[in-house]
Amino acid sequence: MMIERTLIFMIFLVGFWAIIANKHIIKKIFGLNIINAAVVLLFILEGSRIGTQAPLLDMQVTNIVDPIPQALMLTAIVISVCVSALALALSVRLFKATGSFDIDVIQERLSHEQ
Amino acid sequence: MNSSNLMFTPIVLPLLGSALILMVKTFSSRKGRIIAEYMGSAIGLLLPLASLFVLYPVVREQGFLQQVVGSWDPSIGIMYRFDGLSFLMILLSQLISIPAWIYSRGRGPKENTFTALFLIQNASIAAISMCSDLFNLFVCLEVMGMTAYVLIASSKKNAAAFASFSYLLFSSTAMVFFLVGTYGLYRITGSLSYAGITTMIPEPNLMSSVCLVLITVSVLLRVAIMPLSFWLVPAHSKAPHAVSAMLSSVLLKIPLFSLVRILSLVSIGSDIGLVVSYAGAFTALFAVLLALSQKDAKQLLAYHSISQIGYITAAWGMALHAGVTSKTGAFLLSVAFFHALYHAMFKALLFLSVGTTTDYANQRNVYILRGANAQLRASGEKVPITMLCYFVGALSITAIPPFNGFFSKTLLTYALKETMQYTLLTLAGVGTLASFIKLSRIYLPAKPTGQEETKPFPKSIHIALSVLALFCIAGGVFAPQVFNFIKELLASHPEQEQLSFKFFTSSNLLKVLYTSLGGIVLFILAVSKTGTKLLSLLKNLPRSFSDAFFGFAVSIAILVYVLL
Amino acid sequence: MKKSNLFSSCKVLVTFFLIAFTLAPILLSSHPWPNEGRDYLFENASNETGASNSVSAIYLGYRAMDTLGETLVLLVSITGTMTILVGLVKKEKSDSPNTFLLTRDKRKSNQLRTHLLEVVSGKLGPIVLLFGFYVMLYGHISPGGGFQGGVILASGIVFLALGNQSEKETKLNNPIVLARIEGFSFLALILASTSGMLMGKGFFGNPLSHISANFIILLNIIIGLKVGTSIASMCIAMMGRSHDD
Repeated sequence: MMIERTLIFMIFLVGFWAIIANKHIIKKIFGLNIINAAVVLLFILEGSRIGTQAPLLDMQVTNIVDPIPQALMLTAIVISVCVSALALALSVRLFKATGSFDIDVIQERLSHEQ
Repeated sequence: MNSSNLMFTPIVLPLLGSALILMVKTFSSRKGRIIAEYMGSAIGLLLPLASLFVLYPVVREQGFLQQVVGSWDPSIGIMYRFDGLSFLMILLSQLISIPAWIYSRGRGPKENTFTALFLIQNASIAAISMCSDLFNLFVCLEVMGMTAYVLIASSKKNAAAFASFSYLLFSSTAMVFFLVGTYGLYRITGSLSYAGITTMIPEPNLMSSVCLVLITVSVLLRVAIMPLSFWLVPAHSKAPHAVSAMLSSVLLKIPLFSLVRILSLVSIGSDIGLVVSYAGAFTALFAVLLALSQKDAKQLLAYHSISQIGYITAAWGMALHAGVTSKTGAFLLSVAFFHALYHAMFKALLFLSVGTTTDYANQRNVYILRGANAQLRASGEKVPITMLCYFVGALSITAIPPFNGFFSKTLLTYALKETMQYTLLTLAGVGTLASFIKLSRIYLPAKPTGQEETKPFPKSIHIALSVLALFCIAGGVFAPQVFNFIKELLASHPEQEQLSFKFFTSSNLLKVLYTSLGGIVLFILAVSKTGTKLLSLLKNLPRSFSDAFFGFAVSIAILVYVLL
Repeated sequence: MKKSNLFSSCKVLVTFFLIAFTLAPILLSSHPWPNEGRDYLFENASNETGASNSVSAIYLGYRAMDTLGETLVLLVSITGTMTILVGLVKKEKSDSPNTFLLTRDKRKSNQLRTHLLEVVSGKLGPIVLLFGFYVMLYGHISPGGGFQGGVILASGIVFLALGNQSEKETKLNNPIVLARIEGFSFLALILASTSGMLMGKGFFGNPLSHISANFIILLNIIIGLKVGTSIASMCIAMMGRSHDD
């Protein structure tokens, strides 16, 4: 129980560290994906504690898991994929414009361009 | 269609318009596309005004309209609530979108997907104003943010791509924290709607307070109060002008007022409001000092946006602290919205006019650019409307009567009298005047270059600028009526007393005189040698990407510490 | 230099620890998970919405507004990504446009598209399309639904594009056809959501609830088509073809 939550917490922290500490913009986008994955896992895992069967309402089921977190996370996954797609397209454009993936170098080169 | 269905029209109509545009885009010729674009924007931008007009008496009588989307059970469906605050927020966004869109026909982004995205942004703003459900707020904020990222990146400059990227990264990370807060609140209460959450939180315990702080700070990142405002300056200065106007005028305020709904229902909302109010007042002063040091015209305006939003947040925070349903609280919230409305008008006017000027003069540096009016005239503008509208905007923001800024700023500082915020905001007013004197120097006459162009000046620019200038002047002339209009919509028990505050008292006018004199003195100091050195120190403060997350973490920590 | 590096790494560490301490009580909390939602849905989801997949009942029935928002995010993101990518590709135009459609011996680029890939993906394409339609249409009974089916549809269309061995192309790889289907389905989604208003059931209500409760199937089809065609047109734009303006 607690061990799973601790592991998800560590996945979250790894993703967050990638966003704040890493200079490579593609790795920052990876970090964003990892954070989103950690939150999705958390919702679904914890929502599944109160039942034992999948939330398909046939004749035989008696004890389904909570379907609300699963529905919310469908939306959250789609949104995170869309954000990553746009971020990757922007980083391709930044690379073509400045020739580097390092965020400090990009900032410097763009400010010289003005 | 009864009135409770009518409340969804501000969301549906822009979406219908954008769906029409996107569909026709794939079919017909250029002419058909242009017709579809105008029709779609008429459906999306003008018809919601008509439905607001119809909804106004309903909201005055009943106070609010509430409906679960799809008419399901309220415990499981999404509740939407249309009250006076929603009415005002949608009105604000429509009033600014129409001139911004008209401007874009003349000068702004001419891509065929621009109008469709613009209309989707309007629909998301309307949805945020009305929703009373936490996860739906997440989704609608993401829609609004996504349209903002794409619209900023539609500019051809590469710096715009970087601005969009940094805004995207901060905002998406903040939204993940929002999701964590939603997780915590769902875990405690089993419900996602505001009503469900607030009735089922026992007493404020650690987990619910931390969740509410996470939600608040994530939404406040979009409002750009000082430790969280790293993304704003590149985004607003590098975006196309119509998009900058929309961003500064509308997108900074909608998340702020949408937080009122949830924070007014929980008991820790008043403490959060107090802390955020102080942060807002400091932001107002510090951002103005940073604005004084800028040399790019649009960056100067972007810093001013931060400063003015500090003003609005200071009043908003005190309104939450006093309780929105109480008399002082409702007054403070009305004052905050009053300044938000007027700021939207003059900030949009400033961005559009300064943007046009720097485009035609091909120079954005305020130290170098001079004689802008001559260059505008050389580009085909017969009557100097751009310069006149710029001066209307500049006089408004520096709170000179009879333009609208004077009324809203005076009322706001009066409402916050005898608190620390009052001093900070007055000092910020002095700084505003100084930096606008600096910006207005671009219109000083200079040697003519002798080039004449024969291209006609786009009429849409003139129309858009004149409409906004008219709003500013009308806002000034009819200020007490506008304020009473706002107050009646926001007060939960409408009182019959009209505003008893007199704007044109001698003390107020003297204050304007002192502020102006102080501004002139500060300007002279700022352009002197020591002033320039100090300001360039401020300007060149090293600012890296990870500082923004540092500010985010610090603000969360401060709020959590205060609440415990 | 060293001092500013030390300062910035201090800031990063402080950020990290502050966030870790703030989030620990929430992420590690063991408060009992509420079951009011689950109980309500167990009783009523199948009767009220006609779907036995309760997750579909939630995100297309009870919380359909979230799905509308999600579709809008997808639309805006794909529009933006395509604008950026098409703008980049245009700058480096190769001498023979539409090299994608030429057969292997005639084209110079896309050399990784080997004969093996073409044969396999060309034969698999229609099967994957069929599977995508199945997932989309049966979303209210078994796990699946509009988004899932739509993404599988998109991958089927990409398979057909990769598996094209002749110089003629199928209509499904024509960006204009895909854009038209996408435009139609977005308009249909908005009209379907407002039809409930006209019938007196409220926004996003089921207009035909006295006939049948299966509004969800219609929404699944519309969303599936929209998502599938938009992601497919983005993938085809990345392969070098877009419907120009």
